[in-house]
Amino acid sequence: MKRLLVIALALLGLASAQVQVRISGWGGTDVAIVNGVLENVVRPALEGTGIEVVYEPVEGDFQQFIFNALSAGTAPDLFYVDIFWSRAAFASGKVAALDALGVDAEPFLDNLVQAFTLDGHLYGIPKDFNTLAIEFNKDLFEEAGVPFPNQNDTWETFEAKLKAVVDRLGDVHGICVVPDFARFGAFAFATGWKPFNEDGRTVLDENFRRAFEWYTGLVDRGVGVLAQDLGQGWTGGCFATEEVAAAIEGAWIAGFLRDQAPNLNYGTTFIPKDPVTGQRGNFIFTVSWSLYEGSKNKEAALKVLELLTSPEAQQWVLERGLAIPSRAALANNPYFQRPGKEPQLNRVVFQGASQGNVFPFEFRGLGADWMNIINEALSAVLLGEKSVDQALADAQDRLDRLTGHK
Amino acid sequence: MHRRTEALYALGFLAPYLSVLGVFFLYAFLRTVYFSFTQYDLFHAPEWVGFQNYAALFREDLFLRALRNTLFYSFFVTVVQTFLALVLAAILNTKIRGVTFFRTVYYLPSILSSAAATLIFIWVFQRRGFLNYALGWLEAHAPILLTFLGLFLLFQLVQVAWERRLGLPVHLFDPALATASLVLALALTWFLVALGVLAPREGIEVKTVWLNTRREWLGVPIPLWSIIIMNIYTTIPTFMLIFLAGLQDIPKTIYEAAAIDGATPVQQFFKITVPLLRPVIFLVVTMSLIGTLQLFDQVALIGNAAPLESTITLAYYVYNSVFPSGATPKVGFGAGAALVLALLTLAVVLLQRRFGISERGY
Repeated sequence: MKRLLVIALALLGLASAQVQVRISGWGGTDVAIVNGVLENVVRPALEGTGIEVVYEPVEGDFQQFIFNALSAGTAPDLFYVDIFWSRAAFASGKVAALDALGVDAEPFLDNLVQAFTLDGHLYGIPKDFNTLAIEFNKDLFEEAGVPFPNQNDTWETFEAKLKAVVDRLGDVHGICVVPDFARFGAFAFATGWKPFNEDGRTVLDENFRRAFEWYTGLVDRGVGVLAQDLGQGWTGGCFATEEVAAAIEGAWIAGFLRDQAPNLNYGTTFIPKDPVTGQRGNFIFTVSWSLYEGSKNKEAALKVLELLTSPEAQQWVLERGLAIPSRAALANNPYFQRPGKEPQLNRVVFQGASQGNVFPFEFRGLGADWMNIINEALSAVLLGEKSVDQALADAQDRLDRLTGHK
Repeated sequence: MHRRTEALYALGFLAPYLSVLGVFFLYAFLRTVYFSFTQYDLFHAPEWVGFQNYAALFREDLFLRALRNTLFYSFFVTVVQTFLALVLAAILNTKIRGVTFFRTVYYLPSILSSAAATLIFIWVFQRRGFLNYALGWLEAHAPILLTFLGLFLLFQLVQVAWERRLGLPVHLFDPALATASLVLALALTWFLVALGVLAPREGIEVKTVWLNTRREWLGVPIPLWSIIIMNIYTTIPTFMLIFLAGLQDIPKTIYEAAAIDGATPVQQFFKITVPLLRPVIFLVVTMSLIGTLQLFDQVALIGNAAPLESTITLAYYVYNSVFPSGATPKVGFGAGAALVLALLTLAVVLLQRRFGISERGY
């Protein structure tokens, strides 16, 4: 009896010495990734420190979950912040400024660090990131006797190659087109167009129009097909069924293709350049680990944050082809030089962040409201419901009202 | 004394429910009223702005569109689904072979969760989905179908005219003659197709965009029509069941008496069934109005498959204001819209009670 009591007391003492750090992110494939990092990197490193990590993945709308939790004071110590809603989250005052806590962002890609910096303060350490690239079906190009798309392609030469594949094979399309700024925007950026000018106004100028006409014209010119006409919601879906020769996606397509089309022989290259400016455009899609301002275990949480974004953790994730590391030093990692379709895809996506006009996937906190206006203009033209003039005029009008310029 | 004890017991039993109601309804409602007069983003302290939110709401295009969509949707769906549910219930209340089978089959759609139903319908409504395919098939085969219909009518008219000339009092759609006409028309149509005189039209492909469009039909966005069709399909069975229960209560003798007096089934339906079912119709109409005014799930589930402005309803507007994708929550705004929705629901139900079908029976 006495012994039992001693053991119980010892356990109690141990429990009280433990500091629990709660971390949270979205569900889906991230559950396996984060669990892998925790098991292989974080927990072994935390042994003996008295810090225990509890991982709470959230299926469903993570933004809604975290905004609720932040306002109710029940947020986990560390959590994901997607670049898309980062500004709203950081402006809430509930996310801790990491620079004030002495966190060093130096080893991370500057583009990404900038994306999580607001008013001179750093609010998150980039966990990983993605950009867009062109994935192409090697077999289809070879069968048609057309050279593969490559990094020297402009919109015109890229389109000509796709057209040649379509003309020679007959039963395939060049590329799936989606009325989505998350894809089209890369081409608009290539022209030198910026989402906001100094006054915070969005101006759909001549440059924007040039990209808009090229992109929406792909279907009419017999190169593209609307994804929904193939019963798909994204360009990766069309690509997996080999109904199109190319897709515009990020590295996330790798896992999908591994599942859905394991034998698909694909290559990856950069987004083609604007023939006028000679530049390419791209998006940075990224997620940070951020710290809850009201966390009671800030010190322990910072230790966990350091481990989650450590070179070891990123190496572990990279080697499994699960995500693109945010540390600049990993650019020369031998993994990227390995042969095979996935290392090539990841290499192109990694390098995409530093080529041409690259913007983070964030729109001054206006989020989907801003993007929907452009998406709707794209879909109206692609479906033949409006002329380009009409669609752009309507979109400009709505954007002006949204940004308070009307 | 005895009464007081009884009241205490009653309160005791009601307490769990009352406390839940107090916390999740009364408290939440009062908070919503308060927030609707403030600017509040969930994080910083609410800032009192008076009626500013309400004024801004009625200046905002998206809100007005949501209001218009909601009102039309609610009115149209309630009228159509109440009528169809009643007709279906009346048919399934008759003594026909295998009626239990039909009752089960017609009830099935309401067992489907609205998430599952919406996903199935998104597939049906795709540009190369089932609906367009079916419409395209009908359009391509229209010459054959119309020929068949024309032949059927022709044979039927000839036969009826012949019988009547012989002095026989046959009905225009006499079943025996109709069967003969059907066989004849089918045979002749088949013959014409086999000869190559009739052929399906080539190259007909219906490409109506049902979801991803801003086009309107009768002043209502086409995607909203899609939701209307979907909702009517999934809600009719529930109301049909309620009507069926009501119909079982109407004494058969009334119908028998009417039949002896020479009332046709249609006359019986409008003169007996409808008036005697008034309390049930009231229940169904009220439930339908409240349900349709608060339509949310199907709009949310269709999501990006359709432009927001073409499907948005007030309930979705509220949600979208409080949890906008990629932007700061506008809770005050959302609370204002939620109250407008609540008042609207109350007003519509009261108006319905006052001027529409009331629960007072015959």
